[in-house]
Amino acid sequence: MGLRNFFDKLEPHFVKGGKYERYFPIFEMVESLVYTPKTVTTMAPHARSYVDMKRIMTYVVIATIPAIWFSMYNAGLQVNSAIATLGPSGWRAAIMEFLGVGFDANSIFANIMHGALYFIPIYLTTLIVGGIWEVLFSVVRGHEVNEGFLVTSMLFVLILPPDVPLWQVALGISFGVVIGKEVFGGTGKNFLNPALTGRAFLYFAYPSYMSGDTIWTPVDGFSGATALSISASEGYEKLATHGITWMDAFIGTIQGSLGETSALACMIGLAFLLITKIANWRLVLGCLGGMIGFSLLLNVIGSDTNPMFAMPWYWHFVTGGFAFGLAFMVTEPVSASHTNMGRYFYGALIGFMVVMIRVINPAFPEGMMLAILFANVFAPLIDYFVVQSNVKRRKKRNV
Amino acid sequence: MSQTYKKMLVDPLVDNNPITLQVLGVCSALAVTSSLNVAVVMTLAVTVVTAFSSMFISILRNHIPGSIRIIVQMVIIASLVIVVDQVLKAYAFEISKTLSVFVGLIITNCIVMGRAEAFAMQNPPLASFVDGIGNGLGYGLILLLVGFVRELFGSGSLFGITILETVNNGGWYVPNGLLLLPPSAFFVIGLLIWAFRTWKPEQVEEREFKIQSVEEH
Amino acid sequence: MSEQVSKQGPIARFLAQPPDSVSKTIFVAVSLCLVASMIVSATAVALRPIQEANKLRDKQVNILQVAGLYEPGIDITETFMKSFEPQVLELATGEFTDKFDASTFDDKAASDDPELSTVLVDDPASIGTQSRFVTVYLLRDAAGKVDKVILPIYGYGLWSTLYGFIAVEENGNDIFGLQFYSHGETPGLGAEVDNPRWKALWRDKKLTDEAGALQITVARTAPTAGADFHIDGLSGSTLTTAGVHNLVRFWMGEAGFAPFLKKLKAGEF
Repeated sequence: MGLRNFFDKLEPHFVKGGKYERYFPIFEMVESLVYTPKTVTTMAPHARSYVDMKRIMTYVVIATIPAIWFSMYNAGLQVNSAIATLGPSGWRAAIMEFLGVGFDANSIFANIMHGALYFIPIYLTTLIVGGIWEVLFSVVRGHEVNEGFLVTSMLFVLILPPDVPLWQVALGISFGVVIGKEVFGGTGKNFLNPALTGRAFLYFAYPSYMSGDTIWTPVDGFSGATALSISASEGYEKLATHGITWMDAFIGTIQGSLGETSALACMIGLAFLLITKIANWRLVLGCLGGMIGFSLLLNVIGSDTNPMFAMPWYWHFVTGGFAFGLAFMVTEPVSASHTNMGRYFYGALIGFMVVMIRVINPAFPEGMMLAILFANVFAPLIDYFVVQSNVKRRKKRNV
Repeated sequence: MSQTYKKMLVDPLVDNNPITLQVLGVCSALAVTSSLNVAVVMTLAVTVVTAFSSMFISILRNHIPGSIRIIVQMVIIASLVIVVDQVLKAYAFEISKTLSVFVGLIITNCIVMGRAEAFAMQNPPLASFVDGIGNGLGYGLILLLVGFVRELFGSGSLFGITILETVNNGGWYVPNGLLLLPPSAFFVIGLLIWAFRTWKPEQVEEREFKIQSVEEH
Repeated sequence: MSEQVSKQGPIARFLAQPPDSVSKTIFVAVSLCLVASMIVSATAVALRPIQEANKLRDKQVNILQVAGLYEPGIDITETFMKSFEPQVLELATGEFTDKFDASTFDDKAASDDPELSTVLVDDPASIGTQSRFVTVYLLRDAAGKVDKVILPIYGYGLWSTLYGFIAVEENGNDIFGLQFYSHGETPGLGAEVDNPRWKALWRDKKLTDEAGALQITVARTAPTAGADFHIDGLSGSTLTTAGVHNLVRFWMGEAGFAPFLKKLKAGEF
């Protein structure tokens, strides 16, 4: 219990009136990393449940573990496969050679190892830069450093392409944390998903680093389109000629952002979140319903010039960021609708918009990011209408 | 008297800025700030229109019938805008191509109408003229600040002169494409308002409501 | 008060009326409209010649640029008049026509005029109607022989119609340069059609192969015909690239300038 005593002894200096009052957030952060905090949530969105925010956030991070492992494996797999024909390049390949691991795409260890060399620098950059902003704001504003940041940073990393330059990672997370969250008052008051806000910033600021054919596998000279952009240009039936079967896309051994390729890993995470009741099943149901309904409608309508119309829902499900977004972003409680009825509408709006953007918009092959941000903006409005209609119904009853 | 004229000129720059405090005229600030050249010309155009329309309206203020007040103001402003637009097309063709419809849209710029209604209708011509110049410059100050950020980081240049050599031209700087898109001005203006209000806390509006805490601790 | 009024003339009496009286309202409205309209029309009329000259100059600068003759500081109009010979071309026959005055012929107006244009059925460049007559510019060398031809091209990219010129050498096959003077593509992506490095890629590319088949390709990957016919696409903007590809192939094809280029190749001009 030496450590506990240490914290207890230090605490008077940091609480109100103490010498380092200003730096209480940092003290609190270090303390609650080690011990369960003594305080419980009091503000939205958890006002009614009294569940410790730390536990919720920890569970979400746990839920992303399958996606994390798979992201490293897949990034390594793609790189190692490409190296087999194009030859190794860059410092990561040098480390791999130095350690004698080699570039065998059939070796799970070599793949995870090589993938980790991409994953870890991005993650560390995110943690350090985002962490600095978090601490800065909590010191100035006098609130606590929130564990929500651990979730944001993990999700942010998983939706980036492996080839992203680290300075862009730093800019993206800064924008996400500051503009997406802190200007609105911090965790619980942000109406946009901060990780997606950062991703959207990078997407519009540096489009040639965030979309195209050369960024998904970071090997010089390699060019490989994502399943979605192949579907958009040639039609989903042609995916097989590029060596992509539905099972590949479901398991996730395809081109794409780090964590989003594997629908399977995302579904494991989602199942965990649903069982622990962190994620609300109404959101998931609404989103699936919206996506399946609208894509079936487009299948029926059909189009001669746009092959995306024919894309069936089960392909929409496994390609792009749909599964990842569904598991970790649609279900995020802060930026989603807060009423049960509203959650169906909110989810359905996302499902509808994803298909809409993927199929009908010519400029963006992927739509999950924009669809979720779009629905984020509408969430309060949806809640408002749900509450109003409730009020109306009750008034009628009591006439 | 000279003291008040000075105040009329300086006040709208920071203390009573039409964009950051009154949040007027934001639309054109989004559209014309992707390069500084364009921002400067737009500033001049708006300043001229605001100053002269305020002056003319002020001269006529005792004879403008209340029932057609707004229409009279609009006619004066619109005529001035058309004149400015024609002059730009004749003597600054390149820039007027970039500004395109936005010169015409000065007519709908709330700052011009706002000064006409709020100031020129009650004050003598010279004061109205100075007030118009002050507000035009206040608008221009924000345009230039936003234009500076957007051109420098969006295209790596200032006034068209390369400062940061971009990758596409063989340099090192990767330009930020978001800043070339009009919505980015929302972020930049938002951050500016944040900075202004941190500097001058009296500009902060009162909260409409406070989020309720379940318990204070 | 009444004493005072009687001392003033009729104008002053009128002005002294309360502004909201009916007669004064009408008077203010009418006279303001008259004055304003006079000022506006006077400015418009007075400045028109300068504006027209600007527009013409802008077009001339673009033509000079695509032909590689533009340098800052030169006398645009003089260089242009000295170097270029405008001609109205009938696309279908590939012959010049005297029906119109080449210096005043308006291509844009012609493409909207049902008398002069055809509605396209096969329309890869998405332009709707195509004028049957267009203005082209011949660049002659000192000996009076055709050195280059400057052909207007346009078509739809991702968000907007791109308007531009393509400069073709006297053999009717080698491209000298390409330039768009008006478009609204995404800044940083599609708008990179304006990047000098990308424009330089067009230099010395060939339109057709030996057999005369149109081979020019703007895309990420090179066509089977070889690198001579390939311009690399703009990275990150598949759809603008596709738009440029389609519009260049459309205008260089049979519906466009192909008949004219064949005659040019045969040395008919």
